[in-house]
Amino acid sequence: MRTYLIDANKDEVIVDLTKTIVHNSDLVEFEFSTCVDNSLVNKENIFVRRLANNYFSSLDGKSWRKLARQNLPKKILNVDRVFDLYRGYKPSGLSAGSEGELLTQMPGKIVKIAVKKGEEVKKGQTLIILEAMKMENEIKSGMDGVVKEIHVKEGDALDSGVLMMEVE
Amino acid sequence: MNIRLKNGKQRRVLIINRGEIASRIARACRELGHVAVGVWTDNEPNAAHLEFCDEWIHLDGKTNAETYLNVEKILKVIEENKIDGVHPGYGFLSENGAFAKALTDKGVTFIGPHPEAIRVMGDKATSKALAKEAGVPVVPGTAKAVVDVKEALEVAKDIGYPVLLKAVAGGGGRGMRACNNEQEVKDQFEAVGRESLAAFGNGDLLVEKLIVNPHHIEVQILADKSGNVYHFFERECSIQRRHQKIIEEAPSPFIGDDEALRKNICETAVKLAKAVDYDSAGTVEFIMGEDKSFYFLEMNTRIQVEHPITEEITGMDLIVCMIQSAFGEDLQIPNQEWITRTGHAIECRICAEDPITMLPSPGSVTGFETNFPQGIRFDHCLYRGLEVTPDFDPMVGKLIAKGLVRDVAIRKMRTALDGLYIEGLKTNIPLHKVIFDDNVFKEGVYSTSYIGDFKPQEKVSTELDYLSLYKKLATVEARRMGL
Repeated sequence: MRTYLIDANKDEVIVDLTKTIVHNSDLVEFEFSTCVDNSLVNKENIFVRRLANNYFSSLDGKSWRKLARQNLPKKILNVDRVFDLYRGYKPSGLSAGSEGELLTQMPGKIVKIAVKKGEEVKKGQTLIILEAMKMENEIKSGMDGVVKEIHVKEGDALDSGVLMMEVE
Repeated sequence: MNIRLKNGKQRRVLIINRGEIASRIARACRELGHVAVGVWTDNEPNAAHLEFCDEWIHLDGKTNAETYLNVEKILKVIEENKIDGVHPGYGFLSENGAFAKALTDKGVTFIGPHPEAIRVMGDKATSKALAKEAGVPVVPGTAKAVVDVKEALEVAKDIGYPVLLKAVAGGGGRGMRACNNEQEVKDQFEAVGRESLAAFGNGDLLVEKLIVNPHHIEVQILADKSGNVYHFFERECSIQRRHQKIIEEAPSPFIGDDEALRKNICETAVKLAKAVDYDSAGTVEFIMGEDKSFYFLEMNTRIQVEHPITEEITGMDLIVCMIQSAFGEDLQIPNQEWITRTGHAIECRICAEDPITMLPSPGSVTGFETNFPQGIRFDHCLYRGLEVTPDFDPMVGKLIAKGLVRDVAIRKMRTALDGLYIEGLKTNIPLHKVIFDDNVFKEGVYSTSYIGDFKPQEKVSTELDYLSLYKKLATVEARRMGL
């Protein structure tokens, strides 16, 4: 079974479950690999066993570490990246926003729009001030260019991934 | 059986807060035999703190202004539910003197200090003036709010750069910005004013001298209605990012064995508290320079996020004491000397934020488990399925470690950080691990510039950890197989 892991920047990791061995009703062994350019690398065997209603994992079946039990999660975490999980299929219609497209990285409220449509902007210039979790965050331009379109207005409450402004 | 029967009247206590502190207060109310009344909003129908509340009340509305900050709505709830006392926790209405006054006028107990103390200490200018009068040293700067950016620039020139722009009504690190030169004052003035207006309903700003490489040291105060004021020693909260604390410890490693200095700073705090006839739990914050001279910063007239570390070293329950004090009960503390401390306690604030950018990162908790050594306390509002929304502060829990000495507390904390599993949500746990592995931190020779100098966020390994990914995927597969 193949699992696609796709993070917020649309970077993806493809993990293949190549073998499942059921040792007994409490112990299962999985063989995982990562698919890079159509070849499988980083092959590892992982043991999982249930103890005291928790999951423990091991590489050798001898030393065990507890893992958080999850209810068939749609997301998985690696330090600063949260991956969306797609088991068995790769979702279509996912494309990365271009440099000039300003998307909200987290839900928030527009406090101030610092530029007007048609205005020339420089890389690093503050375009929008977005308030999220009681902090004001300055959204800066990723490039030199001209403001092509503003899709939001001051006071708007936005979800994550909303297109706020286009610069070209 | 009602345990209140032998201790006094059972009260109905309304908790106008959420998250871990609401749970903490509810548990204290239950312990004292009072009825803990919790509130929930449309934003958070499954709020974790309700677990410990005896009664649940719905505050309709989504924004904080419609709910936790809506004095009118809350006063109505108090009347309809025959509430005897209100605990505001921290944040929200905890330092709103008008709210405390409105309650007092209605004959309802505000579990906090008297409204006049909140008013005087809530305003940086009046609190500084009072401190000066009481003989408590203060940082050079404006006594009153500056009228405009022009005056701010004049003052800054007068006291010398770097300076700090601070909201008159600010607190908790919000509405505060350091400026190194004229240009930065010009750039930041408007933004800080706007942020403070939005956050505290007051956009007035102060200008004061910035002490370089300072230590943030604060003293826990507890007072009763009979005029007894006690201190519970100090806490050091110098590990901050964007002027917000992330790690606190008690006692302060900077003060260390200097018992004379400890006695001096603690007694200074008591002196200030006495000057406002303080009658509840509170904290006097000081800034301490490299030469160990200290200046009064502000007094927080509420319980603080980091109160557990003081509880751990003194063995006192500050929330219980705060409730008893508010209802005029005896704290059963014979004298200051009776309050002693043992060992060392450290707290890590666990926040839903990106460990690299340190920016808030809302999301949902898909997995949550703990596996801690002895000596760990975890005050939190986490559960599997919790949605962390951008409407509230990103702090989701406080991990507290206590050891005989600082090294032991650090060892326990480091072990606990490895045993705290939060899935589905970015947290600052990797950042804490880097700090607890750092020798500078371990030696305890750090100031508030630590995060800026050491940059732990750059030392967090962001490399894809295949093994850990596989392990997580393995549990998903195992779960799917029905293991």
